Amino acid sequence: MTRDDRERAVGELRTIWSRCVALFRRRRLDLELDDELRSHLDIAAEENRRRGMPDEEARGKAMRDFGGVTQVRETVRMREGWPFVENLRRDVLYALRQMRKSPGFAAVVIATLALGIGATTAIFTLVYSTLVRPLPYPEDQRIVAIHDARLQGQSTGGLMSMPRFFDLRARNRSFESLAFFYFDQGTVVSGTQLPVAVQKTRTNAAFWQVFGVRPLLGRTYDARDDQPGMPATVVLSYDAWQKIFGGDPGVINRQITLDGFTVTIAGVMPRSFDVPSGTELWHCAQFDAADWTKYRGEGTRFINVFARLKPGVTLAMAEGDLERIGEQLRREYPLTDGVWQFTSHTLREDRYGAMRPALVVLMIASALLLAIACINVANLLLSRATARQREVALRRALGASAGRMTMQFLTESVVLGVIGGAMGVAGAFALVRGVAARLPGRLGLPGAVEMSWPVIWVALLIAVGTGIAFGIAPALENRRIELNTAMKRGETRLGGSGHGLRSALVSVQVGLSLILLVGATLMAESLWHLVKNPLGFAPEHLLTFSMKLPWNTKESVVRNLYGGIQEKLETLPGAIAVGQMDALPTLDWHLRSNFDADWLPRTANQPAINAEDRSISGNFLGAMSVPLVEGRGLSKQDSLVKNVPVLVNQELVREYLPGANPLGRHLLVDGTPHEIVGVIANLRGTAGSIANPPGPEVYWPADGNGGVTERFFVVRSQSDPEQLVRAIREQVHAVDPTQAIGNVATMDELLDKAVAQPRLNMAVVASFAGIALLLACVGIYGVVAFFVAQRTQEIGVRMALGATRAGIAALFIRRALIPAAVGLLAGAGVSLGLTQLLRSQLYGVKANDPLVYAVSIVALLVPVAIATLRPALVAASVNPVEALRAE
Amino acid sequence: MGEDKSDVLRPTAGAAGSPMLQGTLDLMVLKTLESMGPQHGYGIARRIEQISEQALRLNQGTIYPALLRLRQRGWIKAEWGTSENGRRARYYSLTKTGKAQIERETESWERVAATMARFLTAG
Repeated sequence: MTRDDRERAVGELRTIWSRCVALFRRRRLDLELDDELRSHLDIAAEENRRRGMPDEEARGKAMRDFGGVTQVRETVRMREGWPFVENLRRDVLYALRQMRKSPGFAAVVIATLALGIGATTAIFTLVYSTLVRPLPYPEDQRIVAIHDARLQGQSTGGLMSMPRFFDLRARNRSFESLAFFYFDQGTVVSGTQLPVAVQKTRTNAAFWQVFGVRPLLGRTYDARDDQPGMPATVVLSYDAWQKIFGGDPGVINRQITLDGFTVTIAGVMPRSFDVPSGTELWHCAQFDAADWTKYRGEGTRFINVFARLKPGVTLAMAEGDLERIGEQLRREYPLTDGVWQFTSHTLREDRYGAMRPALVVLMIASALLLAIACINVANLLLSRATARQREVALRRALGASAGRMTMQFLTESVVLGVIGGAMGVAGAFALVRGVAARLPGRLGLPGAVEMSWPVIWVALLIAVGTGIAFGIAPALENRRIELNTAMKRGETRLGGSGHGLRSALVSVQVGLSLILLVGATLMAESLWHLVKNPLGFAPEHLLTFSMKLPWNTKESVVRNLYGGIQEKLETLPGAIAVGQMDALPTLDWHLRSNFDADWLPRTANQPAINAEDRSISGNFLGAMSVPLVEGRGLSKQDSLVKNVPVLVNQELVREYLPGANPLGRHLLVDGTPHEIVGVIANLRGTAGSIANPPGPEVYWPADGNGGVTERFFVVRSQSDPEQLVRAIREQVHAVDPTQAIGNVATMDELLDKAVAQPRLNMAVVASFAGIALLLACVGIYGVVAFFVAQRTQEIGVRMALGATRAGIAALFIRRALIPAAVGLLAGAGVSLGLTQLLRSQLYGVKANDPLVYAVSIVALLVPVAIATLRPALVAASVNPVEALRAE
Repeated sequence: MGEDKSDVLRPTAGAAGSPMLQGTLDLMVLKTLESMGPQHGYGIARRIEQISEQALRLNQGTIYPALLRLRQRGWIKAEWGTSENGRRARYYSLTKTGKAQIERETESWERVAATMARFLTAG
């Protein structure tokens, strides 16, 4: 760059700056300019006078020498600032004045837009929080979840067995660190306090490296602490630290009793760290590979595995590595690992992947709503543009260019868009603040869903975009105005294309509303099935709570404790029946086993049956009101014999013994026969989600076979089960003062939580559909009313020529209903395609259920017909004489 | 939007509205201020008329867009003052960068003029 160029560039920059400054000093600059020009003319005139000219001539010559004062003034003004920006400011002020002049119109437009943009923003907040923004861990994209999955058939929710974890750790080339954790329930005794049940997670030391979050206080446990035989260490969650220790910073290195053992508190995590969610205490596992070699087979999968990729290693590379190790293990251990493989998923996928289809559906629904809102506003503005034709014609006649007028109309609609958008964003912000904590599942965790600047910017961008989108039609229509006719006739008149545009908008609006209605109806029906289909048990008046003993507790201790509590609770006034189970329906809990059966051929290494295991005790069937289909339930005696008998569910019979009597037949585990003594109904919710169909299941006596250490008690009560909680706590304390009860909830609450997500989706889409329907009706009403108002005179002529009132009404109904019908057809077509996206979300209803479509169409047609009918009847009641005289 | 009515600036004679004229006028203004010191718009316009001996007859108003342009570039500055016969007037004077600019503008103008002269004689 030469010196000259640089000087020129500096000059340009100074010019731009000074023009920008001028924007804010318009009035002063104008005054100065006027002063300057006046002083110029005065000085010039005075000089002329001095040369002896008469006063008049002196002034005249000064003016002539100067040239056009107005032109110079305008030129200087134009170059002093930015005319574009100044026009824009004028247009914005004009738009605001227009809004003040017709506040009703402005309010309707702004409210409509606020609804559309607010809905979109709220949903986008959800999407952004889950699927877009980085997760709160350093280099979060390097964290992967590794699942253990069956090559085919049902897996155990991705859980892995310990030996496979150790193999993976020894053989992989992709991971910097490999963490495992599993949920556990613990009982903490600290000082003289009563025992507290805590949600405990046991992890290895690498867990802290994988997630990479620093503790708030103290330290996390490291590889040294993780050696067997080292003093046991735990880390507290922020909430547990507050709840149990009152936020005392002196807890670091304090010793507490956890499940009867002494452990040391190493650190406290910050409030934001919540992995896995709900954890109150992390407990160093201290597992040694040598201790686990026996536990390779079915029923030993219990850990979740996460890993941090080495720098530079991609997920695809890691997948190849995992496949290689999986293949090795399949060859080395065909009996136990033969049908298993490792799969990897990004942390985001693992956490929110299941939610993605639902979020996509919500996003589409909100976009549809926004489109409908825009169309409504476009329609309103079109009508208003017609009403303002005279104003436009006048301004055009006074010299405003067509481009200038288009600009002004677009400015008006963008101003409306931005105000509506700002209100929508504010509404969405309030909504998100208000409901974020009550969102179902992971979404409800603190900080999981919150509005952030990127979302707000996108929303405002959408607001400006919609402002242009819905403003473009009326702005363009104004360009077509014929100056002389508009001025002369003093009435509003549009070409046929204006009607065409409006009709098309009605079609689109009806079509979009139908899509939303179909979606909402499908989701509502699905939810209804989800809630109302037989569960296999009666959830009313059922109180549940959990207890947990260390896994290596002796069978006699287990039996005595749980048996003792069972007896105490049975005598509780108000308790009708009490039962126990190791994992309640709706809990995402898996334990699967392989069986042979005495009625099926036995092949080596090819188990005949793969089924989910559950253990029950007490009067489980009675307390849950599970129908006994055949045979008998399990008694206390059954847990005392060596080869304990079992119950199976109907699904196992249907799959493996159709049409035959299962009673008296045996399931074989390692050759040991277990007699099937009863068949019970399928319990929904035992396969994780209550939407999953229950698979084959086997029910064992929980107190047999060494005793199951974790139990959920179910207590059926006469009245409100909540009233029993206190009494139950007292009874448990009476049996064993070192035990605490946890997870107290009614069965209704658990079910409620289980359907919270589908219910939320349904509620959101249904409310969108409702708003869409309302907007569509307002839009159609507006259009028909506009047609009628436009053609009052024509109606008069027609009536004078003998048209009947019914004929007139029919004319307008046709006008509205034909585009509506076109919209319905198109909407139905698009719905058929779009609802395929919903398929994975639906339970008990098909995405193309014709009944759903019929219901949605009727639900749409009725209000549309009413919205059409009213203005049409107004048209029919026009008095022909007055209509003709009005002109 | 900004319909720039630059034809207003067209002088009554000479190279009509060409960018060269703009540069010429700028240089004339700068030179005037250099030789005469602070001047108001009318004074500058008169001086240009006198020097050019009516060869370039411009509307005096044309001077104002040029003054604005120079002011925006930071080459001249304006201050309100009182004229010799007691009238309020806006006085323009050169800034430091403006003084440096005269040299550059002169140089470039001479280059153009020389090139032009060669062309005309070569014909």
